[in-house]
Amino acid sequence: MDFIPHDDKTIAEMLKIIGISKIEDLFKDIPRDLIIKCLNLPEGLSEPDVLENLKELGKKNKTYSNSFLGAGCYFHYIPSLVDFVISRSEFYTSYTPYQAEASQGYLQAIYEYQSIISRLTQMDVANASMYDGSTALAEAAIMASIITGKNQVIILEGVHPEYIEVVKTYCWGQNIGLKIVPIEKLGDEVSKEIAAVLFQSPNFFGDIEDTLILAKFVKERYPNCLIIHCMTDPTCLGVLKPPGETDIDIFVAEGQSFGINPSFGGPGLGIFATRKKFLRKIPGRLVGKTKEINGNREGFLLTLQAREQHIRREKASSNICTNQALCSLSALVYLASLGKTGLCEIATQNFQKAHYVMNKIKLIPGYTLLNTKPIYNEFIVKCPNLDSLIEECTKLNLLPPLPLSKYYPEMKDIALVCVTESNSRESIDNFIKAVENANYSKEERF
Amino acid sequence: MDENDSFIFEKGYKRAQNNFIPKLDIECNKLEEFLPSNLIRDEIQIPDIPEVEIVRHFVKLSKINYGVDSGIYPLGSCTMKYNPKINEYVARLPEFTQLHPLQEENEGALQLIGNISKMLSEITGMDGFTLQPAAGAHGELVGLLIIKKYFETKGLLKNKIIIPDSAHGTNPASAKMAGFSIIELQSNEYGEVPLDHLEFAMKQGDIAGIMLTNPNTLGVFDRQIKEITKIVHKYDGLCYYDGANLNPMLGICRPRDMGFDIVHLNLHKTFSTPHGGGGPGSGPVGVTNELIPFLPIPCIISTEHGIVCNQDNINSIGRIKAFWGNFGIILRAYVYILSLGAEGLKRVGQIAVLNANYLRIQLQKKYNLPYKRICQHEFVLSDKDMPNEITTEDIAKRILDFGFYAPTIYFPLIVNGALMVEPTETESKNSLDKFVEVMNKIYDEALNEPEKLKNAPLNTPVKRLDAVNAARNPVLRD
Repeated sequence: MDFIPHDDKTIAEMLKIIGISKIEDLFKDIPRDLIIKCLNLPEGLSEPDVLENLKELGKKNKTYSNSFLGAGCYFHYIPSLVDFVISRSEFYTSYTPYQAEASQGYLQAIYEYQSIISRLTQMDVANASMYDGSTALAEAAIMASIITGKNQVIILEGVHPEYIEVVKTYCWGQNIGLKIVPIEKLGDEVSKEIAAVLFQSPNFFGDIEDTLILAKFVKERYPNCLIIHCMTDPTCLGVLKPPGETDIDIFVAEGQSFGINPSFGGPGLGIFATRKKFLRKIPGRLVGKTKEINGNREGFLLTLQAREQHIRREKASSNICTNQALCSLSALVYLASLGKTGLCEIATQNFQKAHYVMNKIKLIPGYTLLNTKPIYNEFIVKCPNLDSLIEECTKLNLLPPLPLSKYYPEMKDIALVCVTESNSRESIDNFIKAVENANYSKEERF
Repeated sequence: MDENDSFIFEKGYKRAQNNFIPKLDIECNKLEEFLPSNLIRDEIQIPDIPEVEIVRHFVKLSKINYGVDSGIYPLGSCTMKYNPKINEYVARLPEFTQLHPLQEENEGALQLIGNISKMLSEITGMDGFTLQPAAGAHGELVGLLIIKKYFETKGLLKNKIIIPDSAHGTNPASAKMAGFSIIELQSNEYGEVPLDHLEFAMKQGDIAGIMLTNPNTLGVFDRQIKEITKIVHKYDGLCYYDGANLNPMLGICRPRDMGFDIVHLNLHKTFSTPHGGGGPGSGPVGVTNELIPFLPIPCIISTEHGIVCNQDNINSIGRIKAFWGNFGIILRAYVYILSLGAEGLKRVGQIAVLNANYLRIQLQKKYNLPYKRICQHEFVLSDKDMPNEITTEDIAKRILDFGFYAPTIYFPLIVNGALMVEPTETESKNSLDKFVEVMNKIYDEALNEPEKLKNAPLNTPVKRLDAVNAARNPVLRD
């Protein structure tokens, strides 16, 4: 099956009009010895056979009835209208809207996405999207270096470990120095040579930082140092004070929680928002509202393109071209579906359910809760036997929490637990049961 | 914008009516008991909108948006081919959508990544692939970081990259992001890389390599490709292949055989995954054996003993994205390759080139064609000989009036007033004939009724928009 509409007769007619006798003549510029006979790949499959093949592969992935795993990718309920909207093929089969007049629908949607993110974060302006949270954070660090003319950035330890690695790679590319610093040492490390301080809140371990105080602390000493706030589950903004109401200069987040399935971690959505004064340094696409040249109707187009690679080439603010447009459309539909009431309610439920589980675990002998600051929907807990907890969860068809030793080998038997609104009462009861069993099973062994 | 196309924010109702959140079924405390009040926000300025209003709003917007399913989408260098529906169906199976990137039992997903890596290796001739990059430009960055790391580990300082003036804009932008400075090479009168200039540049010694797309953005296959890569290798440089234009080469010839060391592909171009209005895409990078140690982590390699996942590698450039790449997109491309198989892919290459030449032969009768050669997947016209000072923009906007999307305009930069046309293999002869008919009609209008073009578009939801004012006084949100 090749999705090509031509039959042999048509091909012959077309060749005749071109003035050649066979298809091979179209490739006469290619040196003979470069032409290959045939690729060593299997024969093409019919649609039902493809489906069969993929279902077999799918069976080798385990799906669970409920999840207690987060760590940068979250299970939230997705309203059915999200998939309905992004399945409209006028949207998903279109290209980046270069021809504005034939792309008004998508351009307006992106403009609305920029607006809804700006409203949610209270930042002045949001771009059309980045690849994901980690690359958005890396590009924010580079943007800060361009703005300040300095080539040192500080990243706080609580940032997602994979994000830190991505920032490290990008910074190495641009010869920007990167220091990973615990929050208590920030005062010692920040100086006038620093372009930006990057931090995450709620951080990887679940702690909510007091961003107001953190940003003020840096800004009072070094007003030119940029503060970059990163988030992996921005549903918390339904309740938490938005970054725009603090001294944050750039806000980035992974937007997967806004109506995008986990899909093994991609595609997600890089949310990127900043202040008006940095408008012309933003990486990526921006949609603006304008009017007709000879008319009064309003319309939308890609704007401030002088920042971008296709105009400025090596002088562009970033190389980004294709971004995550369809995912930003998911986020827009998701946020619009919930509205202010739903967003507040969902964040509240995440808080409440996570605290409910935390309070239950607190009562079980052998477990120690480790967070010292307020938490949102994730927390860390020292377990008597984490392997056993994982086993118990799997038995009950629950996706187990993350063993922190995956990223921090020294943190043995510490679990990062995630509880969202999508965890039912039954799954929570089962999880508590697993936690209890995991404890007993160790005692029995001794 | 008409009044009835109002913003989503103007659809507010007094009372929330949607029900997307499960009923709270646990006993719990009030928020204030575990969150200090100074961390709690005021009301969000996003209205509560009834579901039916949201659906109608977006259906209305979709109706004023053009996609491949609407008709021919001849954007040059974008390969806007039909997106098979089976891809979409498979990508929505819960075994894939409900998969957490950090969960243990993920064998199916890793195997799929391993399988497609092998297939892409066969298609391009490379030895190993990473599926991590999220888009073409992201792949370019990865490729360039690999070049940087390669010379770093050899202790060589090579910080310049040669890029021809016909290159995609992302090439120089990516090179800069990897810390390289750029030496631009002027194409010759055939649109090809001049060997003498190339050799002269390479002799300077601090050149890490070259970034090329072949066929290039003029749609022309560089006949001296083997000599080009030979010269670069002679001076210890590496050759990078920008795979944005791979479509016509499928099953015909392979970048590795041309002499390339690194290749990036655009799954959202060549391998039929939908472009989504600007992503999500996927930009896998393939390399030769010698460069495999530099691939980003995690690196999934399919061996005789099964799938091996390398989480750390001393020479790796590091991590370039959280988790595993745009898996949902990779999955669609895998379905496409399985559907087509070896023969199908070869037919894609052949018919993509057939369609492009069929259009070229007919359009060059009225429009200026600066490079008069057999083309590959695309060709570039210009507005040079247009009557009544009609510009490329006028032509493009008038095309919209006839219900088609326009070609890429004003690119490549080496052709003044460029109109870059790429029909792809999935357009029928009938569809191509209609496009020719419209283009001929537009030319006649340019002769006889030029005002129609200068005022175009007339039939779209809005007329030509004021881009200058939009940039001068940016309004980016409501």
